[in-house]
Amino acid sequence: MAIVVPRSAPGSQSTWALAWRSFKKHRLAMSSLVVVILLVLMAVFAPFVAPYSPTAQPTGEDLGSFYFQGPSKEHWLGTDDLGRDALSRIIYGARISLLVGFVAAISSVLFGTIMGTLAGYFQGKPLRFYLGPLNREAEGWQPLTFAVWRVISWVLFYWALYFVARLAWTLAGDSVRSLFSGAWTAGNVFAGLGLLLVWGLSAAAAVWGGFGRLKLDLDVAISRLVDFMLTIPDLPLLLVLSALLRDPGVAVGRWAQAVFGDAASVFIIITILVLFGWTGTARLVRGAILSLREQDFTTAAQALGARESRVMFRHLVPNAMAPIIVQATLGVGGAILTEAALSFLGFGIQPPVATWGNMLTNAQEYIFSTPWLALAPGFMIFITILAFNYLGDGLRDALDPRSRL
Amino acid sequence: MFAYTMRRLLQMVPLLFAASVVIYTLLALQPGDPLDELRRNNPRITQEQLEALKRSYGLDQPIYVRYFKWLGRAVRGDLGYSRDYGIPAAEFIFKQRLPNTLLLSGVALLLALLVAIPVGIFSAVRQYSTADYAITFLSFMGFSMPIFFLGILLLYLFAVAIPENISGFPRLPTGGVPDLLWSDVRSGNAGLFQFIGRWAWHLILPVTALSLIQMAAWTRFMRASLLEVMNQDFVRTARAKGLDERVVLYKHALRNALIPIVTIVGLAVPGIFGGATITETIFSWPGMGRAIFDALVAKDYNVAMASLAFLALLTALFNLIADLLYAVVDPRIRYN
Repeated sequence: MAIVVPRSAPGSQSTWALAWRSFKKHRLAMSSLVVVILLVLMAVFAPFVAPYSPTAQPTGEDLGSFYFQGPSKEHWLGTDDLGRDALSRIIYGARISLLVGFVAAISSVLFGTIMGTLAGYFQGKPLRFYLGPLNREAEGWQPLTFAVWRVISWVLFYWALYFVARLAWTLAGDSVRSLFSGAWTAGNVFAGLGLLLVWGLSAAAAVWGGFGRLKLDLDVAISRLVDFMLTIPDLPLLLVLSALLRDPGVAVGRWAQAVFGDAASVFIIITILVLFGWTGTARLVRGAILSLREQDFTTAAQALGARESRVMFRHLVPNAMAPIIVQATLGVGGAILTEAALSFLGFGIQPPVATWGNMLTNAQEYIFSTPWLALAPGFMIFITILAFNYLGDGLRDALDPRSRL
Repeated sequence: MFAYTMRRLLQMVPLLFAASVVIYTLLALQPGDPLDELRRNNPRITQEQLEALKRSYGLDQPIYVRYFKWLGRAVRGDLGYSRDYGIPAAEFIFKQRLPNTLLLSGVALLLALLVAIPVGIFSAVRQYSTADYAITFLSFMGFSMPIFFLGILLLYLFAVAIPENISGFPRLPTGGVPDLLWSDVRSGNAGLFQFIGRWAWHLILPVTALSLIQMAAWTRFMRASLLEVMNQDFVRTARAKGLDERVVLYKHALRNALIPIVTIVGLAVPGIFGGATITETIFSWPGMGRAIFDALVAKDYNVAMASLAFLALLTALFNLIADLLYAVVDPRIRYN
């Protein structure tokens, strides 16, 4: 017997249609939507829109007259220090800024949603994480993935112990050797006692590792990771990471260079933005999931025997979609701003690829003689971020059930 | 409360340990080493000399050994020497750079709060009025404005473009700090008011840039927080009792609306110490943000490591303080 459930009662409207209706009333958000669509079109069709190539430099005689031209009929926004057309660079710059903004925001929201969902769903339900090789609980059936993980975890556990013991010897070894040759100074004795303590603890841990059992609280782990990400100062680390990933001497840098070529710095920026950008979404989603999982529809899904991944991603996440969408929209503006700031400091996307951030840095040097060169990229960054902020605000008003009362 | 504080302090230890490990590792993995400079500037340096220098810097050892040696010295208060400035890193950071940064970012935050809190209250009380729309619009513009663009704009307008004979004021300085130091005042070479005047003159532009943007965000926080409270039942009850609207607003609503603000201010404090890298760059302000940036570029690792670790410590500490303050200002919250 099949029960046919109508998708929606006749005459009623879906949540999304209702949201769209209320979004349309937010005039600034609607105009922002238009601005964003225009920007995207401009970026996609840059080769057709831009009057010149963004990297073409003048050739021939009397080169000096091509540099730093003021706005004119041929060059609406003038030319820069290398005689390149500023307007074309602005148009091509939109490609990079929007690409970075969209990809970084969507990826961080995706990753943040997954982490937040895991944390929220498994809050208070620790998972079996480590079972010693001699632990009795291991008898009987267990899924293959866990059996494989068990072996990996033993190797990791004992390797870590070996590493700690060896590290202690590297640090204290010299002092201990001089103890044996009779140099009984306080420092040497202290080092020797420390070595004994570390070795003793490692030995105890090794014995425990045979029989012991560890549970991993995913929620605690993820929440601590988020706290940790918030503790480390982000801008300096963004700089360090971008320098590190750009280095051809580092494997990741070589790989990025090989796969992405000139676009390697774009890929690197996006990676860094995601690495630092997922924590906000994770906190938000965790909170939403915590309350959703207590509701009856979750219990119903579990009672029907749905797998945990299905409950999480087919039942819980769709119900938390509204704040996630708002977060993603605001994230685009944030990512564009951070990219521009990094490029401004010289650690972002490298010239000759034009981005609004590095155009602004370049223009800053000539601010006293040709101030208009700084105006255009700065204004574009400002307008784009403003549009995404208003879009996010309008979406929040439209999707937030509280504002519909 | 005491037990909670203690537990949180204990939890901070592994957190900070992990943070310092990550920071140290990332710094140590940077391409190139501090000897590059020497190699470039002194072509006659021999391989043996380089090796000897490497050993004396401890660069021949693996990263984790170097880290633990650094940690061992750092907990005893020895943060090493700045290779670029030739003075102890601690002296460079805490004596030379931190005061400048505290001045700039502290004044900016104070100014932003002084303006934003009343404006936010006004905006919330007159919700949907023309003034509210104007304030909301301006604050949206404010936090969509990249600080580097606003900074350049202000710099160009007030330090370059506007001629003195039009504004009637001398142009503002394009950046840097005045050459009048506090030690001059103490030794009697300069008057106190002269000192304050000169520093204030140099602070105008960077503080304006920094605080305008923060103002926008704080105004929105304040407005949203107060609106949230104004819609709650106890405010309706207070009104129903026939209380004066001013009493409802200031005694009932505002006190509750300030609770989240207190927390966010607490979380913003470490930012004051960290400095504003971009603002300091634009206005050549010798503060912490710029110091960290320069140390990273010049691979002056003792300075970079010390300042970053200091910032991580402050962030963790103020996180805790914000949580505790939350419990102090809001008696409904109990920690156990």
